[in-house]
Amino acid sequence: MNCLQFENALSDYLEGAGSSEQQAHLSSCSACSSLLADLNLISAEASSLRESDGPAPHVWTALEAQLRREGLIREASRPLLPDFLLRWKTAWLVPVAAALLIAVGIKLYQAPRIGDNQPLAKNVVPRVPVAPVVSVDDKDILTTVASRPPAQVAAYRNDLDQANAFIRDAQESLKNDPNDIYSQQLLINAYEQKQMLYRLAVDQSDEQ
Amino acid sequence: MTDAKRPRGNKLSEPEAIERAKQGDAEAFEFLYNLHKRRVYSLCLRMTGNTASAEDLTQEAFLQLFRKIGTFRGESAFSTWLHRMAVNVVLMQLRKKNLPVVPIDETTEGEEEGTIRKELGAPDERLAGSIDRLQLQRAVDELPPGYRTIFVLHDVEGYEHNEIATMVGCSIGNSKSQLHKARIKLRDLLRVNRAEKAGKR
Amino acid sequence: MSSGKCAATVTAMLMLVGASLGAENIRKDLHFKVGKRPMISINNPYGPVLVKAGAAHEVVVTAILHSDRVELDQSKSHNRVDIVSHLLPGADPASGIVEYEILVPPDANLTLHSDNGRVRAEKLQGDLTVAANDGAIEVIDCAGGHVHVRTLNGMVSLNNVHGHVEIMSVGGDILMTGVTGTLVAVNSNSGKIEYEGDFAGDGEYAFTSHTGNIEAVAPAYASIDVLARSTNGIVQSDFSLEPKHAPFLVRGANSLSGTLGKAASSVKLFSFSGRIRLKKRQN
Repeated sequence: MNCLQFENALSDYLEGAGSSEQQAHLSSCSACSSLLADLNLISAEASSLRESDGPAPHVWTALEAQLRREGLIREASRPLLPDFLLRWKTAWLVPVAAALLIAVGIKLYQAPRIGDNQPLAKNVVPRVPVAPVVSVDDKDILTTVASRPPAQVAAYRNDLDQANAFIRDAQESLKNDPNDIYSQQLLINAYEQKQMLYRLAVDQSDEQ
Repeated sequence: MTDAKRPRGNKLSEPEAIERAKQGDAEAFEFLYNLHKRRVYSLCLRMTGNTASAEDLTQEAFLQLFRKIGTFRGESAFSTWLHRMAVNVVLMQLRKKNLPVVPIDETTEGEEEGTIRKELGAPDERLAGSIDRLQLQRAVDELPPGYRTIFVLHDVEGYEHNEIATMVGCSIGNSKSQLHKARIKLRDLLRVNRAEKAGKR
Repeated sequence: MSSGKCAATVTAMLMLVGASLGAENIRKDLHFKVGKRPMISINNPYGPVLVKAGAAHEVVVTAILHSDRVELDQSKSHNRVDIVSHLLPGADPASGIVEYEILVPPDANLTLHSDNGRVRAEKLQGDLTVAANDGAIEVIDCAGGHVHVRTLNGMVSLNNVHGHVEIMSVGGDILMTGVTGTLVAVNSNSGKIEYEGDFAGDGEYAFTSHTGNIEAVAPAYASIDVLARSTNGIVQSDFSLEPKHAPFLVRGANSLSGTLGKAASSVKLFSFSGRIRLKKRQN
């Protein structure tokens, strides 16, 4: 069997219906062996593309609007929240700042870099209290952004949901082992994301 | 995204969200959308190679799904149902635009084989080892539409040839041969890309 | 960049800008003299902000306003320049657009804020802070300063950046090529994190995500101390790492720990449910 004959029947070989002649050719031909390896690699790696991208936030916004127009979404409209603008500017900071102070305290207690010969598993760090995500202040901050274009508001709400989901997952992870540096790092990062969201909303409100 | 299907504290699970969506619950719709959006969007993007089209098709797929959610009885996995719907939406769009869903004329093979024959005897430049996912993504986007459809449905999304044949309206043999050609074409594209990168360094 | 080249570049930019001016567009040209390491702040809700290193001691701003619903507020005090696109009543994301092209001294410290416009910073040596909602952020050929990027859903792309880097994103993907420094910290929620580089500089590289996948491509000669873990995602590595003591139980396909070479840089790849891959660069 020559390379051309092998290649013409390669499709069957890849489906598991190869012949002994093909097998014999493979063992002696580096070009065909290389081709086969590459095709298998491409096939194996393809599944990594399966969830590789996500749609922009406006896709959900448009979809939700259409679902409402068609009456598929049926819910009572919520009453407007009272104006917390003066109160929340300090009030919302309190629980988030408390959580961050705890998180920063953990960072300061952390051992030096992992590469050093330190008994890291024996790190003694303060327990991180499992604080609930602050939903009341989320509603306040959503009121703040409510005057923006609907697409922005929807995107902001989606981002807030993501940040809250991160906090919840990190808190769950930390419950199993409060000394686990991985879970601690996740929670710190989760709170930092939430803080970024609040800060961006405040900064933009101040400008408008 | 296995974590998204597990209940998060007192949050929804997928079966609960489906039941609540049937009642018109906005939060439930959003939950289902967020749970499956990446899979659907990635499929649409890989099949069309175009962000704007992928967004429109993602929206259309979910819209069709949510319109029919009242009829879902749990006979199959919800994700399977949604995914089939998304594939059908994309294929219909490709047909509307007169883009080839799959190459029908098998005599186009001659051109491809000529290219492959030229490669035989060339210095061995294996891809083997690993493939950069971004490069693979770009290479898939460069595939002719018909090859891209078969490759995405089979290798990326995991459909079998008999399922693909039913969906796109071709023979199982055609599906297999086009998949093979798609992989050969991808190999060429990836090797060219790698050679260009090496030349730039 | 010499003054002559700078002037030529500005002229070219102005010509390009002039060619694209529509009937309703208003062009503003601003010029400021500054000292060493000036502080420059641009706040532009709608529209691109493109910043490049120019001549020392001067800041050159070209702004194209898309309507009279937006005006430029500019102020300069001591060594600080502030420019704000001020939206007037009736402005919207279309009429409120201002397109900025700015030349700054290479040692300038910059703060750039845009809601949905593209932000690009090139060939800078000072500190750079970028905050954006949806617009893409690109940082190219910057070295020596602190780079801080905050975005909600914009894509972040860093190419050939050296120094102290901190990036935070909710849904925007983060792509890094040739990024090294004493600290490179990336915090993402669902955005994917992709890194291709040497992990050089005896630095600390910490990439964390909630659900976003993390992929790092490093050369065979990388000198790194790796700790990777994902609660619900798979962790894969092309490298055969030297085993080392880990601060948590390394179990199965969800975590790995080990060193390569002299373990000069620390690399932490943490995700809650994203897939983590440490890949070997193919030369």
